[in-house]
Amino acid sequence: MSIKVSYSTQKEIVRAAHDLKSQFGTLNPALVIFFASTAFDPASISKVMHDTFSPATVFGCSTSGELVSGAMLKNSIVAMAFDAASVKSTHIEILQNVKTEKNIRPKIKTMLGAFEKYAKCPALEIDVNKYLGLILIDGLSLSEERIMDAVGDLTNVTFIGGSAGDDLKFSATYIYAQGRVYTDAALFALLEPANGFDIIKTQSFQQTGKTLVATKVDEATRTVMEFDGQPAAKRYAEVLGTTVADVSKLFMKHPLGLMVNGEPFVRSPQRIDHGNVVFYCNIKEGMALSLLNSTDIIADTKKSIEAKQQTAGTISGIINFHCILRTLDLEQQGATDQYGKVFANIPSIGFSTYGEEYIGHINQTSTMVVFK
Amino acid sequence: MAGKIKIAINKIIEDRSKGNATLATTTRTKMLLKGIDVNSYNEHSPDDPAILKKVKEVADELGINILI
Repeated sequence: MSIKVSYSTQKEIVRAAHDLKSQFGTLNPALVIFFASTAFDPASISKVMHDTFSPATVFGCSTSGELVSGAMLKNSIVAMAFDAASVKSTHIEILQNVKTEKNIRPKIKTMLGAFEKYAKCPALEIDVNKYLGLILIDGLSLSEERIMDAVGDLTNVTFIGGSAGDDLKFSATYIYAQGRVYTDAALFALLEPANGFDIIKTQSFQQTGKTLVATKVDEATRTVMEFDGQPAAKRYAEVLGTTVADVSKLFMKHPLGLMVNGEPFVRSPQRIDHGNVVFYCNIKEGMALSLLNSTDIIADTKKSIEAKQQTAGTISGIINFHCILRTLDLEQQGATDQYGKVFANIPSIGFSTYGEEYIGHINQTSTMVVFK
Repeated sequence: MAGKIKIAINKIIEDRSKGNATLATTTRTKMLLKGIDVNSYNEHSPDDPAILKKVKEVADELGINILI
Protein backbone atom coordinates (compact mmCIF):
# COMPACT_ATOMS: atom_id res chain seq x y z
CA MET A 1 0.00 0.00 0.00
CA SER A 2 1.22 3.48 -0.76
CA ILE A 3 0.38 7.00 0.28
CA LYS A 4 2.50 9.75 -1.23
CA VAL A 5 2.50 13.52 -1.00
CA SER A 6 3.67 16.23 -3.33
CA TYR A 7 3.58 19.95 -3.72
CA SER A 8 4.08 22.50 -6.47
CA THR A 9 4.79 26.19 -6.57
CA GLN A 10 4.47 26.30 -10.36
CA LYS A 11 2.15 29.19 -11.20
CA GLU A 12 0.75 27.69 -14.40
CA ILE A 13 -1.96 25.21 -13.52
CA VAL A 14 -1.24 22.44 -16.02
CA ARG A 15 2.48 22.56 -15.13
CA ALA A 16 1.59 22.47 -11.42
CA ALA A 17 -0.65 19.40 -11.87
CA HIS A 18 1.99 17.59 -13.91
CA ASP A 19 4.62 18.55 -11.31
CA LEU A 20 2.47 16.92 -8.62
CA LYS A 21 1.92 13.82 -10.75
CA SER A 22 5.61 13.38 -11.50
CA GLN A 23 6.40 13.45 -7.79
CA PHE A 24 3.98 10.56 -7.21
CA GLY A 25 6.25 8.42 -9.37
CA THR A 26 4.83 5.01 -10.17
CA LEU A 27 1.99 5.26 -7.66
CA ASN A 28 -1.29 4.69 -9.49
CA PRO A 29 -3.76 6.76 -7.48
CA ALA A 30 -7.28 5.67 -6.64
CA LEU A 31 -7.80 8.86 -4.65
CA VAL A 32 -6.13 12.29 -4.74
CA ILE A 33 -6.87 14.94 -2.13
CA PHE A 34 -5.49 18.41 -2.77
CA PHE A 35 -5.46 21.83 -1.19
CA ALA A 36 -4.73 24.86 -3.34
CA SER A 37 -4.09 28.54 -2.81
CA THR A 38 -6.62 30.92 -4.36
CA ALA A 39 -3.71 32.12 -6.47
CA PHE A 40 -4.93 29.33 -8.78
CA ASP A 41 -8.13 29.98 -10.70
CA PRO A 42 -10.64 27.74 -8.91
CA ALA A 43 -12.54 26.39 -11.91
CA SER A 44 -9.32 25.64 -13.74
CA ILE A 45 -7.50 23.97 -10.85
CA SER A 46 -10.41 21.62 -10.17
CA LYS A 47 -10.80 20.63 -13.82
CA VAL A 48 -7.09 20.20 -14.47
CA MET A 49 -6.50 18.16 -11.31
CA HIS A 50 -9.44 15.93 -12.21
CA ASP A 51 -8.24 15.49 -15.80
CA THR A 52 -4.62 14.88 -14.74
CA PHE A 53 -5.45 12.17 -12.22
CA SER A 54 -8.52 10.62 -13.82
CA PRO A 55 -9.85 7.97 -13.22
CA ALA A 56 -8.94 8.61 -9.56
CA THR A 57 -11.46 10.28 -7.29
CA VAL A 58 -10.16 13.83 -6.86
CA PHE A 59 -11.36 16.40 -4.34
CA GLY A 60 -10.10 19.28 -2.22
CA CYS A 61 -10.57 22.92 -1.37
CA SER A 62 -9.03 26.38 -1.35
CA THR A 63 -6.81 27.48 1.50
CA SER A 64 -5.18 30.25 3.47
CA GLY A 65 -1.81 28.53 3.25
CA GLU A 66 -0.72 24.98 2.60
CA LEU A 67 1.20 22.38 4.56
CA VAL A 68 3.27 19.48 3.26
CA SER A 69 5.82 17.21 4.93
CA GLY A 70 8.53 19.50 6.20
CA ALA A 71 7.13 22.84 5.14
CA MET A 72 4.48 25.50 5.52
CA LEU A 73 3.80 27.11 2.16
CA LYS A 74 1.83 29.85 0.49
CA ASN A 75 0.52 30.24 -3.06
CA SER A 76 1.09 26.55 -3.69
CA ILE A 77 -0.84 23.36 -4.21
CA VAL A 78 -0.30 20.27 -2.07
CA ALA A 79 -1.64 16.81 -2.81
CA MET A 80 -1.87 13.37 -1.25
CA ALA A 81 -2.29 10.30 -3.43
CA PHE A 82 -3.62 6.97 -2.21
CA ASP A 83 -3.30 3.77 -4.20
CA ALA A 84 -6.12 1.22 -4.21
CA ALA A 85 -4.32 -0.82 -1.55
CA SER A 86 -4.31 2.08 0.93
CA VAL A 87 -7.89 3.27 0.50
CA LYS A 88 -10.31 0.54 -0.52
CA SER A 89 -13.13 2.88 -1.48
CA THR A 90 -14.19 6.51 -1.49
CA HIS A 91 -17.62 7.96 -1.91
CA ILE A 92 -18.27 11.71 -2.02
CA GLU A 93 -21.41 13.82 -1.78
CA ILE A 94 -21.85 17.59 -2.12
CA LEU A 95 -24.38 19.65 -0.23
CA GLN A 96 -25.10 23.06 -1.77
CA ASN A 97 -26.70 26.28 -0.48
CA VAL A 98 -25.44 25.58 3.03
CA LYS A 99 -25.34 29.27 3.99
CA THR A 100 -29.03 29.95 3.39
CA GLU A 101 -30.45 26.54 4.33
CA LYS A 102 -31.62 27.07 7.91
CA ASN A 103 -33.18 23.63 8.28
CA ILE A 104 -30.23 21.63 7.08
CA ARG A 105 -31.04 18.37 8.88
CA PRO A 106 -33.34 16.89 6.17
CA LYS A 107 -30.67 17.60 3.54
CA ILE A 108 -27.97 15.95 5.66
CA LYS A 109 -30.31 12.97 6.14
CA THR A 110 -30.78 12.69 2.37
CA MET A 111 -27.02 13.00 1.85
CA LEU A 112 -26.33 10.27 4.41
CA GLY A 113 -28.88 8.13 2.58
CA ALA A 114 -26.38 7.91 -0.26
CA PHE A 115 -23.74 6.70 2.19
CA GLU A 116 -26.22 4.17 3.60
CA LYS A 117 -26.67 2.66 0.13
CA TYR A 118 -22.92 2.60 -0.28
CA ALA A 119 -22.19 1.06 3.16
CA LYS A 120 -25.33 -1.14 2.92
CA CYS A 121 -26.65 -0.25 6.37
CA PRO A 122 -28.41 2.60 8.23
CA ALA A 123 -26.27 5.66 8.93
CA LEU A 124 -26.25 4.99 12.66
CA GLU A 125 -24.92 1.47 12.06
CA ILE A 126 -22.07 2.33 9.65
CA ASP A 127 -18.95 0.74 11.13
CA VAL A 128 -17.04 3.63 12.75
CA ASN A 129 -13.77 1.68 12.75
CA LYS A 130 -13.99 0.78 9.09
CA TYR A 131 -15.17 4.08 7.61
CA LEU A 132 -13.75 7.58 8.01
CA GLY A 133 -15.61 10.75 7.10
CA LEU A 134 -13.83 13.80 5.71
CA ILE A 135 -15.60 17.12 5.48
CA LEU A 136 -14.68 20.36 3.73
CA ILE A 137 -16.99 23.34 4.16
CA ASP A 138 -17.15 26.81 2.62
CA GLY A 139 -15.29 28.82 5.27
CA LEU A 140 -17.45 31.92 4.78
CA SER A 141 -20.82 30.16 5.00
CA LEU A 142 -21.40 30.37 8.79
CA SER A 143 -22.90 26.89 8.39
CA GLU A 144 -20.34 24.67 10.05
CA GLU A 145 -22.08 24.33 13.43
CA ARG A 146 -25.44 23.40 11.90
CA ILE A 147 -23.82 20.89 9.57
CA MET A 148 -21.67 19.19 12.22
CA ASP A 149 -24.59 19.12 14.66
CA ALA A 150 -26.88 17.39 12.15
CA VAL A 151 -24.18 14.97 10.97
CA GLY A 152 -23.38 14.08 14.58
CA ASP A 153 -27.05 13.43 15.30
CA LEU A 154 -27.59 11.15 12.32
CA THR A 155 -24.43 9.04 12.27
CA ASN A 156 -21.63 7.93 14.60
CA VAL A 157 -19.06 7.99 11.78
CA THR A 158 -16.30 10.46 12.63
CA PHE A 159 -16.41 13.32 10.18
CA ILE A 160 -13.24 15.37 10.46
CA GLY A 161 -12.07 18.27 8.35
CA GLY A 162 -11.85 21.98 7.93
CA SER A 163 -13.37 25.15 6.61
CA ALA A 164 -11.93 26.22 3.27
CA GLY A 165 -9.91 29.44 3.20
CA ASP A 166 -9.06 32.11 0.64
CA ASP A 167 -5.68 33.52 1.59
CA LEU A 168 -7.22 35.91 4.13
CA LYS A 169 -9.19 37.81 1.50
CA PHE A 170 -12.52 36.75 3.08
CA SER A 171 -14.16 37.05 -0.31
CA ALA A 172 -14.92 33.51 -1.59
CA THR A 173 -13.75 30.02 -0.71
CA TYR A 174 -14.02 26.96 -2.94
CA ILE A 175 -14.69 23.26 -2.70
CA TYR A 176 -13.34 21.07 -5.51
CA ALA A 177 -14.83 17.74 -6.48
CA GLN A 178 -14.42 15.63 -9.59
CA GLY A 179 -13.49 18.53 -11.82
CA ARG A 180 -16.18 20.91 -10.60
CA VAL A 181 -15.98 23.87 -8.22
CA TYR A 182 -18.51 24.88 -5.58
CA THR A 183 -19.08 27.78 -3.25
CA ASP A 184 -21.66 27.89 -0.48
CA ALA A 185 -21.25 24.14 -0.24
CA ALA A 186 -19.92 21.28 1.87
CA LEU A 187 -18.18 18.14 0.65
CA PHE A 188 -18.61 14.89 2.54
CA ALA A 189 -16.30 11.99 1.76
CA LEU A 190 -16.68 8.50 3.19
CA LEU A 191 -13.39 6.65 2.97
CA GLU A 192 -12.51 3.05 3.72
CA PRO A 193 -8.80 3.17 4.72
CA ALA A 194 -7.21 -0.24 4.28
CA ASN A 195 -5.15 -0.23 7.47
CA GLY A 196 -7.32 1.80 9.78
CA PHE A 197 -7.03 5.37 10.96
CA ASP A 198 -6.94 7.52 14.05
CA ILE A 199 -7.54 11.15 14.97
CA ILE A 200 -5.36 13.78 16.61
CA LYS A 201 -6.95 16.93 17.99
CA THR A 202 -4.34 19.30 19.37
CA GLN A 203 -4.67 22.84 20.59
CA SER A 204 -2.00 24.73 22.52
CA PHE A 205 -3.75 26.19 25.54
CA GLN A 206 -4.04 25.68 29.26
CA GLN A 207 -6.82 26.76 31.61
CA THR A 208 -6.38 29.91 33.69
CA GLY A 209 -8.89 28.84 36.33
CA LYS A 210 -11.22 31.68 35.29
CA THR A 211 -14.61 31.00 33.76
CA LEU A 212 -17.05 33.09 31.75
CA VAL A 213 -20.69 32.10 31.41
CA ALA A 214 -22.37 33.26 28.20
CA THR A 215 -25.62 34.70 29.53
CA LYS A 216 -26.92 36.34 26.34
CA VAL A 217 -26.00 35.23 22.82
CA ASP A 218 -26.99 35.39 19.18
CA GLU A 219 -25.94 31.98 17.91
CA ALA A 220 -26.58 32.68 14.24
CA THR A 221 -24.03 35.52 14.17
CA ARG A 222 -21.65 33.85 16.65
CA THR A 223 -22.05 36.85 18.94
CA VAL A 224 -22.00 36.97 22.73
CA MET A 225 -23.74 40.04 24.10
CA GLU A 226 -23.27 39.24 27.78
CA PHE A 227 -20.89 37.22 29.91
CA ASP A 228 -21.92 36.72 33.53
CA GLY A 229 -24.80 39.16 33.07
CA GLN A 230 -22.48 41.98 32.03
CA PRO A 231 -21.63 43.49 28.60
CA ALA A 232 -19.45 40.85 26.95
CA ALA A 233 -16.43 42.95 25.96
CA LYS A 234 -16.32 44.64 29.36
CA ARG A 235 -16.42 41.31 31.22
CA TYR A 236 -13.82 39.69 28.93
CA ALA A 237 -11.50 42.66 29.49
CA GLU A 238 -12.11 42.47 33.22
CA VAL A 239 -11.06 38.83 33.55
CA LEU A 240 -7.96 39.57 31.47
CA GLY A 241 -7.11 42.58 33.63
CA THR A 242 -7.25 45.04 30.74
CA THR A 243 -9.53 47.61 29.11
CA VAL A 244 -12.21 47.20 26.45
CA ALA A 245 -10.00 49.33 24.17
CA ASP A 246 -7.12 46.86 24.49
CA VAL A 247 -8.77 43.47 25.03
CA SER A 248 -8.86 42.47 21.36
CA LYS A 249 -5.04 42.53 21.31
CA LEU A 250 -5.13 39.62 23.74
CA PHE A 251 -7.71 37.51 21.91
CA MET A 252 -5.29 35.26 20.04
CA LYS A 253 -3.41 34.28 23.18
CA HIS A 254 -6.50 34.07 25.41
CA PRO A 255 -9.49 32.50 23.68
CA LEU A 256 -12.19 30.56 25.51
CA GLY A 257 -12.62 26.81 25.74
CA LEU A 258 -15.58 24.50 26.27
CA MET A 259 -13.89 21.94 28.48
CA VAL A 260 -14.43 18.27 27.65
CA ASN A 261 -12.53 15.79 29.85
CA GLY A 262 -9.98 18.48 30.63
CA GLU A 263 -9.41 19.37 26.98
CA PRO A 264 -10.72 22.58 25.41
CA PHE A 265 -12.93 22.81 22.35
CA VAL A 266 -11.64 26.29 21.57
CA ARG A 267 -13.89 29.25 20.82
CA SER A 268 -11.79 32.08 19.41
CA PRO A 269 -12.93 35.67 19.71
CA GLN A 270 -12.73 37.63 16.47
CA ARG A 271 -13.64 41.20 17.25
CA ILE A 272 -15.59 43.60 19.43
CA ASP A 273 -18.82 44.93 17.95
CA HIS A 274 -20.66 47.61 19.95
CA GLY A 275 -19.65 46.02 23.25
CA ASN A 276 -20.44 42.50 22.05
CA VAL A 277 -17.81 39.87 21.31
CA VAL A 278 -18.07 38.14 17.94
CA PHE A 279 -16.46 34.69 17.78
CA TYR A 280 -15.24 32.41 15.02
CA CYS A 281 -17.71 29.76 16.14
CA ASN A 282 -20.99 29.86 17.99
CA ILE A 283 -21.53 29.75 21.70
CA LYS A 284 -24.74 28.48 23.28
CA GLU A 285 -26.49 30.54 25.90
CA GLY A 286 -25.61 29.23 29.35
CA MET A 287 -22.29 27.69 28.27
CA ALA A 288 -19.56 27.99 30.90
CA LEU A 289 -16.27 28.59 29.13
CA SER A 290 -12.78 28.47 30.49
CA LEU A 291 -10.45 31.41 29.83
CA LEU A 292 -7.30 29.97 28.25
CA ASN A 293 -3.60 30.85 28.10
CA SER A 294 -1.59 29.91 25.02
CA THR A 295 1.24 27.38 25.23
CA ASP A 296 3.91 26.19 22.78
CA ILE A 297 2.32 25.09 19.46
CA ILE A 298 5.42 23.28 18.23
CA ALA A 299 6.17 21.42 21.44
CA ASP A 300 2.53 20.44 21.86
CA THR A 301 2.20 19.27 18.25
CA LYS A 302 5.40 17.20 18.48
CA LYS A 303 4.15 15.62 21.69
CA SER A 304 0.78 14.76 20.09
CA ILE A 305 2.41 13.16 17.05
CA GLU A 306 4.89 11.20 19.17
CA ALA A 307 2.12 10.00 21.46
CA LYS A 308 0.12 8.82 18.44
CA GLN A 309 3.17 7.06 17.00
CA GLN A 310 3.50 5.18 20.30
CA THR A 311 -0.11 4.00 20.27
CA ALA A 312 -0.83 3.70 16.56
CA GLY A 313 2.54 2.35 15.45
CA THR A 314 3.37 3.18 11.83
CA ILE A 315 1.84 6.35 10.48
CA SER A 316 1.45 6.14 6.68
CA GLY A 317 0.04 9.63 6.25
CA ILE A 318 -1.49 12.62 7.99
CA ILE A 319 -3.96 15.21 6.77
CA ASN A 320 -3.71 18.29 8.98
CA PHE A 321 -6.61 20.75 9.20
CA HIS A 322 -4.67 23.57 10.84
CA CYS A 323 -6.30 26.77 12.00
CA ILE A 324 -5.18 29.97 10.25
CA LEU A 325 -4.89 31.58 13.69
CA ARG A 326 -2.20 29.03 14.58
CA THR A 327 -0.46 29.80 11.28
CA LEU A 328 -0.54 33.54 12.03
CA ASP A 329 0.79 32.88 15.53
CA LEU A 330 3.64 30.78 14.11
CA GLU A 331 4.40 33.48 11.54
CA GLN A 332 4.56 36.11 14.27
CA GLN A 333 7.04 33.92 16.13
CA GLY A 334 9.08 33.22 12.99
CA ALA A 335 8.43 29.52 13.65
CA THR A 336 6.74 28.22 10.49
CA ASP A 337 9.82 26.30 9.37
CA GLN A 338 10.06 24.65 12.77
CA TYR A 339 6.38 23.66 12.62
CA GLY A 340 6.78 22.23 9.12
CA LYS A 341 9.73 20.14 10.30
CA VAL A 342 7.55 18.40 12.91
CA PHE A 343 6.04 16.52 9.94
CA ALA A 344 9.27 16.14 7.96
CA ASN A 345 9.38 12.34 8.19
CA ILE A 346 5.65 11.70 7.79
CA PRO A 347 3.86 11.89 4.42
CA SER A 348 1.52 14.75 5.25
CA ILE A 349 -0.49 17.52 3.70
CA GLY A 350 -2.79 20.08 5.17
CA PHE A 351 -3.99 23.60 4.93
CA SER A 352 -4.63 26.70 7.02
CA THR A 353 -8.35 26.63 7.65
CA TYR A 354 -11.05 29.09 8.63
CA GLY A 355 -12.13 26.60 11.30
CA GLU A 356 -11.76 22.93 12.09
CA GLU A 357 -14.40 20.23 12.25
CA TYR A 358 -14.34 17.35 14.71
CA ILE A 359 -17.59 16.47 16.48
CA GLY A 360 -18.34 20.21 16.28
CA HIS A 361 -16.88 23.35 14.76
CA ILE A 362 -13.80 24.56 16.61
CA ASN A 363 -11.00 27.11 16.37
CA GLN A 364 -7.26 27.46 16.96
CA THR A 365 -6.84 23.70 16.72
CA SER A 366 -5.18 21.17 14.45
CA THR A 367 -7.52 18.33 13.74
CA MET A 368 -5.61 15.56 11.98
CA VAL A 369 -6.48 12.30 10.30
CA VAL A 370 -3.77 9.71 10.85
CA PHE A 371 -3.68 6.89 8.29
CA LYS A 372 -2.05 3.79 9.78
CA MET B 1 -38.17 14.44 43.41
CA ALA B 2 -34.64 14.86 42.06
CA GLY B 3 -32.16 13.21 39.76
CA LYS B 4 -34.30 12.99 36.60
CA ILE B 5 -31.84 15.06 34.56
CA LYS B 6 -28.97 12.71 35.37
CA ILE B 7 -31.11 9.65 34.60
CA ALA B 8 -32.11 11.13 31.24
CA ILE B 9 -28.53 12.06 30.33
CA ASN B 10 -27.27 8.57 31.22
CA LYS B 11 -30.01 6.93 29.12
CA ILE B 12 -29.13 9.05 26.09
CA ILE B 13 -25.46 8.11 26.40
CA GLU B 14 -26.15 4.41 27.02
CA ASP B 15 -28.66 4.04 24.18
CA ARG B 16 -26.58 5.95 21.69
CA SER B 17 -23.25 4.29 22.49
CA LYS B 18 -24.54 0.73 23.13
CA GLY B 19 -21.63 -0.03 25.44
CA ASN B 20 -18.92 1.40 23.18
CA ALA B 21 -16.69 3.57 25.41
CA THR B 22 -15.45 5.74 22.52
CA LEU B 23 -18.99 6.43 21.35
CA ALA B 24 -20.00 7.23 24.94
CA THR B 25 -17.28 9.89 25.07
CA THR B 26 -18.32 11.25 21.68
CA THR B 27 -21.98 11.37 22.74
CA ARG B 28 -21.07 13.27 25.90
CA THR B 29 -19.06 15.73 23.79
CA LYS B 30 -21.98 16.17 21.37
CA MET B 31 -24.27 16.92 24.30
CA LEU B 32 -21.82 19.44 25.74
CA LEU B 33 -21.61 21.16 22.36
CA LYS B 34 -25.43 21.26 22.32
CA GLY B 35 -25.33 23.13 25.62
CA ILE B 36 -26.07 20.32 28.10
CA ASP B 37 -23.40 20.30 30.78
CA VAL B 38 -23.46 16.52 31.32
CA ASN B 39 -21.01 16.73 34.23
CA SER B 40 -23.10 19.15 36.28
CA TYR B 41 -25.93 16.86 37.28
CA ASN B 42 -26.23 14.01 39.76
CA GLU B 43 -28.91 12.02 41.54
CA HIS B 44 -29.58 14.95 43.87
CA SER B 45 -29.94 17.65 41.18
CA PRO B 46 -33.38 19.29 41.21
CA ASP B 47 -35.65 18.41 38.30
CA ASP B 48 -35.45 21.80 36.58
CA PRO B 49 -38.27 21.76 33.96
CA ALA B 50 -36.33 24.03 31.57
CA ILE B 51 -33.28 21.73 31.63
CA LEU B 52 -35.42 18.61 31.31
CA LYS B 53 -37.12 20.13 28.27
CA LYS B 54 -33.71 20.85 26.72
CA VAL B 55 -32.48 17.31 27.49
CA LYS B 56 -35.60 15.89 25.83
CA GLU B 57 -34.94 18.04 22.74
CA VAL B 58 -31.36 16.76 22.60
CA ALA B 59 -32.59 13.17 23.00
CA ASP B 60 -34.97 13.69 20.07
CA GLU B 61 -32.13 15.14 17.96
CA LEU B 62 -29.96 12.12 18.76
CA GLY B 63 -32.82 9.72 17.97
CA ILE B 64 -33.20 8.48 21.55
CA ASN B 65 -36.59 7.94 23.14
CA ILE B 66 -36.79 9.15 26.72
CA LEU B 67 -39.81 9.76 28.93
CA ILE B 68 -39.63 12.95 30.98
